[in-house]
Amino acid sequence: MKILIVEDDSTTIDYVVKGFAEQGYNIETATDGHQGLLLATSMKYDLIILDRMLPQLDGLKVLAALRATGSQTPVLILSALSHVDERVKGLRAGGDDYMTKPFAFSELLVRAEKLMQRGELQPTKTDLVVGPLTMELLTRKVLVDDNELMLQPKEFQLLKYLMEHADQVISRTLLFEAVWDYHFDPRTNVIDVHIAKLRRKLEELGHGELIETVRGAGYRLRQGH
Amino acid sequence: MVNSSKRLEAQVIGYVKGIKPHQSSAWRITIIFSILVILIIGTLLFGMYRQLMSEQESQLDQQLAAEKARYQQMALTLDRRSFATQVRTADPKVALIVWRNSVDLIGALSMIPDDMPMLPKKREFPVFAGGSDKLHILTGGLAMTRYGPVLIATRTDQLGTLIDKFSNAAITALMLTIVLTLALGYLFSKTLLRRLVQYNRLSEQIEKGEYSTRLPISWRKDEFDMLAQQFNRVLDTLEGNLAAVRGVTDNIAHDLRTPLSHLRIGLEQLPEKSREALPENCAIITEELDHCLATFDAMLSLTRIEEGQQTLELQELSLQAISRDLFEMAEAITEYNEQSLVLEMEDDYLITGDKYLLFQAIFNLVDNAIKYSPKGAKINIIQKENTLIISDDGIGIPDEEKERVFERLVRLDPSRHYKGTGLGLSMVKAILSRHNASIILSDNHPGLVVTITF
Repeated sequence: MKILIVEDDSTTIDYVVKGFAEQGYNIETATDGHQGLLLATSMKYDLIILDRMLPQLDGLKVLAALRATGSQTPVLILSALSHVDERVKGLRAGGDDYMTKPFAFSELLVRAEKLMQRGELQPTKTDLVVGPLTMELLTRKVLVDDNELMLQPKEFQLLKYLMEHADQVISRTLLFEAVWDYHFDPRTNVIDVHIAKLRRKLEELGHGELIETVRGAGYRLRQGH
Repeated sequence: MVNSSKRLEAQVIGYVKGIKPHQSSAWRITIIFSILVILIIGTLLFGMYRQLMSEQESQLDQQLAAEKARYQQMALTLDRRSFATQVRTADPKVALIVWRNSVDLIGALSMIPDDMPMLPKKREFPVFAGGSDKLHILTGGLAMTRYGPVLIATRTDQLGTLIDKFSNAAITALMLTIVLTLALGYLFSKTLLRRLVQYNRLSEQIEKGEYSTRLPISWRKDEFDMLAQQFNRVLDTLEGNLAAVRGVTDNIAHDLRTPLSHLRIGLEQLPEKSREALPENCAIITEELDHCLATFDAMLSLTRIEEGQQTLELQELSLQAISRDLFEMAEAITEYNEQSLVLEMEDDYLITGDKYLLFQAIFNLVDNAIKYSPKGAKINIIQKENTLIISDDGIGIPDEEKERVFERLVRLDPSRHYKGTGLGLSMVKAILSRHNASIILSDNHPGLVVTITF
């Protein structure tokens, strides 16, 4: 998997490159818009992470130029501008996802992987299996060690998202977006409350430890011990 | 940039202050007004003059014609001697008559000038007479009678005097008018300028930071007083805003000081932490930092929404769908807090709005209701046509604070025991007003009722 990062801030580049390298990705970097566009159009990448504000050529212009060449490479826009309309502008210009700085690498990784999977043709899974958990997607049944776990629709979606990203730290914002489809920081404990309910139900079946709280970051579903 | 605009301002003020009365607009208006007055009076006087002249002329014509007719009649009825006597004894106040009787001239004058026209045509001619004013001006013409031509004339130099007097009076009147209007205009502009200079002095004071200065308002209630009143009102608003900004700055300092000082302590202690405790401590620091960032983000978004810079992603939304989403999201929290949440809906209503922003605003209200209500409290979400009511039986908000809670960073709980940015309600109000919706807070005895009307 090959990722291009177009970003002019060296601290951010180091942070992102280090993170992806640990995950075994092949990373290339460009520090301004022209160089970024040149690399993006001349090489084949699985993902482009593009800063919104770049020297020489603005991120949105790079994106527009790239899309004009017919390139379908997924693009994740990084920006210090957190306003809703900036996000909309970025997505309209042809971006596939949008993240605001500062960000946690774990969240970037989840979003990046999601975008890269979309590129490949994935065999549609009917079952998700994580440790003692089995989720039958067609019948919407969840089994914990052969005992059925009764879930409400939102709880089901939460657990599904966590199972799809097992062993990864998932931020509250990501969960909020995935389950409720609302793009704002709720500044509330709504996610924690739902997770607590889910955890309680798992506990009744003897597996409350499956969902881990990662302080300052989010939640993680543990595959094994 | 700031410097140069300041300098320009100073220049403008200096200019206004140093302005002479003759440079003022009032003076310009005075000049225009004077010219108009002169034109009007001049035209009037000229008209009167023409009227007077033609009146005099026709009187003269009538007088001469009457005399002519009289003498023609006399010549027909009297003999030559009697006619001569009549001519000799003619009243010089009525007319001067001269008749050439064969060789000598009989009458008031010792000559008949050449080229005298026949009446009703007439002309002026000078005559030397004894006395102090030797030269007289006469106007007259010849009349044909049975005994030959008779000169009929009358003195018209009084008429000239009259015209002279008239024009003298007219010129004096005009001059007086000019002097008076100009003098009044000058005084007027001086008075105006005095008030303007007063205003300028005030604006200078304000520029220096004396925001409590106000313009005096006289009992006259004229346009300057209206201006002053308006100016004072603007100053009131500005002063209020400045105070608000100061309050916000203080609140920001207070709100960010705490997490920032926690951060400082956390970072300072980090090197001493054991390897095992490190991740946990880093996470705590990250949380504090995220809180600071969230406050900043909220401030920025609030400003953008309030100033209308944020473009809304408009779409058709159903109030019932929003209410259901709200209920679904909040229900788990109320369960967790051992409170109850009730949703009542009646007649759906469609609005055009930004789904995320609107939901964010309304969810904030529900979240507040939950946060500020005790265990066992009942929270209602009631949707009825275009109104959405969120009520609780929690601590409520005192009446005198109901307006203030919408101000930025205002929190009724001085200890800031409840978590939050203090921007929530300002954001709610800004978002709702962008959607032309009103929000009213009222008492639930106990608790709070929030009524939103679209």
